[in-house]
Amino acid sequence: MSATLRPYLTAVRHTLTAAMCLDNFSSQVVERHNKPEVEVRSSKELLLTPVVISRNEKEKVFIEASINSVRISIAVKQADEIEKILCKKFMRFMMMRAENFIVLRRKPIDGYDISFLITNFHTEQMYKHKLVDFVIHFMEEIDKEISEMKLAVNARARIVSEEFLKRF
Amino acid sequence: MAEAHRFGNVIAPITCHAWNKEKTQIAISPNNHEVHVYQQNGTDWKMIDNLNQHDLRVMGIDWAPNTNRIVTCAVDRNAYVWTQGDDGKWKPTLVLLRINRAATCVKWSPDENKFAVGSGARLISVCYFESENDWWVSKHIKKPIRSTITSIDWHPNNVLLVAGSTDYKVRVFSAYIRDIEKTPEATPWGTKMPLGQLMAEFPNSPSGGGWVHSVSFSPDGNKICWVAHDSTINVADATRGNVMFKLKTEFLPFLSCTWVNNRTVITAGHNCMPLLYSLDASGQLAFAAKLDTSQKKEASGLSAMRKFQSLDKQARVEVSDTSLDSIHQNAITCLCLYGGTKVGGTKFSTSGLDGQLVIWNLVSLEKEIQGLKI
Amino acid sequence: MAKNTFSSAFRKIDVDQYNEDNFKEDEGDQSGPTGPNENEIITLLNQYPFLKFINNSEALRAVLTNAPLGSKNQQIKDQALNITLRVLLSIKGSQIDDIVQSLDPELIDVLMKYVYRGFEIPSEGSSGHLLLWHEKAYSVGGVGCIVRVLSDSKRA
Repeated sequence: MSATLRPYLTAVRHTLTAAMCLDNFSSQVVERHNKPEVEVRSSKELLLTPVVISRNEKEKVFIEASINSVRISIAVKQADEIEKILCKKFMRFMMMRAENFIVLRRKPIDGYDISFLITNFHTEQMYKHKLVDFVIHFMEEIDKEISEMKLAVNARARIVSEEFLKRF
Repeated sequence: MAEAHRFGNVIAPITCHAWNKEKTQIAISPNNHEVHVYQQNGTDWKMIDNLNQHDLRVMGIDWAPNTNRIVTCAVDRNAYVWTQGDDGKWKPTLVLLRINRAATCVKWSPDENKFAVGSGARLISVCYFESENDWWVSKHIKKPIRSTITSIDWHPNNVLLVAGSTDYKVRVFSAYIRDIEKTPEATPWGTKMPLGQLMAEFPNSPSGGGWVHSVSFSPDGNKICWVAHDSTINVADATRGNVMFKLKTEFLPFLSCTWVNNRTVITAGHNCMPLLYSLDASGQLAFAAKLDTSQKKEASGLSAMRKFQSLDKQARVEVSDTSLDSIHQNAITCLCLYGGTKVGGTKFSTSGLDGQLVIWNLVSLEKEIQGLKI
Repeated sequence: MAKNTFSSAFRKIDVDQYNEDNFKEDEGDQSGPTGPNENEIITLLNQYPFLKFINNSEALRAVLTNAPLGSKNQQIKDQALNITLRVLLSIKGSQIDDIVQSLDPELIDVLMKYVYRGFEIPSEGSSGHLLLWHEKAYSVGGVGCIVRVLSDSKRA
């Protein structure tokens, strides 16, 4: 199972490098405005083919690119109920603080747990290859964090129930 | 063979740049509404003027070498023609483009009596100076453009121009202005050339798709080359019946291209380094060389100090290299000839999102890179 | 207008779609390949096991050259996708490298398009295998190959 992790992340990395070729583009619908075309979706010719990279049925990454912005949505592995709850709360925690992350989107796309929106302004201020590194690192860390949190929850539950049952 | 320059202390991307005739002064836009003119002072650059008339980001600058005029266009739907006064300061003249979206690119014609502006309004404005009313007027080329024009280049005969657009097409139009020039002679592109006549149209790819980022006429005017978002470089030849040759590359898409003689094209883009392609006798394009010969930076051993610093500042154990092993650290957006003309270019300059301007010497690169013949 | 018809539906019309300057997708030529012949491919796949390598690469080449990329008919495309995935998943990991080296650049692009389409319908173990195909195709086609998957409007 973990044999697919490295190829999965490599495939996502290469696809992100290809999708993040962003260029400044002023809106051709509204004068004097500059909008991320992947969000507005008003001109079909400015959007690229969306692609999915999946590691298995549960984990996948959805990348939609356009001329000046790219949207990356991640579906995180959630094996059981506890992981589902933890994932939801964790993602919500981060999405509420999306401003600090700069590239995070406040709402995930349907069918996914968390989404990033990277525009040409971000690639002008930050290194593209480091942005890609960040997303890959994020994907790796999420799984680790959720597993750690699950262990902590289970350990705490065990201590609590032990203490409670000592009364009897 | 490659000198890197920075302007001022700001590390803002350089949107575009243009040189004066003697290549001693340069006009650049640091990703905002201003245009700075710098004078070369040895190895340093001194800012001699700040052209501050636009309201929104400047998208294109072109400097006419012989008449010494600068034309700039911006997202605020305006273009200005700047002329230099006796005190050395530049004075703007508004050009009525009559467009209702952002202007994206601008180019003086070879004879410098008119210029063309591409825009997001799906049209090209060809502007010339009407001396009776003492202002710049524009004529529009509209049909059959269906999306933003991204790039424009002029044919050496001062009448034809080629435009690339985000509707995946490259088109050669006639921009003949009856008031200021005489009837042009026939060219391999066609004989009748009224204003706005579509002389040739090329779809970028048979598989559809690929926004055209940059177009360029060859020095003899018979061929055009363009680079598109599907990571290809294409050449079309009018003398061979408008046959198109497409070369698919394994690099990231290119953003700009130019001919340096009748058989050689240089391009640069998201891969952060300029590349050279040559055309052989049968019209096939082939990769010739990578012009950035920087070596990979030596990882001088991960010293304990660096590890600790990284752990302290970023809570990370590994310290992978942040910088790319090329001179430009981010995409190259603009490429200009610096030495020589399209007929025989000897040097060219590139500017990019990392705020650097790099001047490349083709003659010394030819010697340095084995097997390279320009 | 609202007064005599008592409806304000006219306010909801998207006027921009009627702008004649809008980008219209090319009608496209329907004359492209109409999809690989299913029986042919299955025969190739099931033939003599010791000829597996040659048959597999033949099957793959046939499927990729006949890919109905230009077709507007979704059914034809889905059929072609299923067959192509069958071929891709039946070729063993050790053979992938040689097969990919023998394909020409046009077909590598088509292969990459099908790999990405295959990711959209994951089944037992398919994604892992497709990841292997992705890696090998990338080593030949480079990042330009992936860029073409994104930018081509003729999709798999």
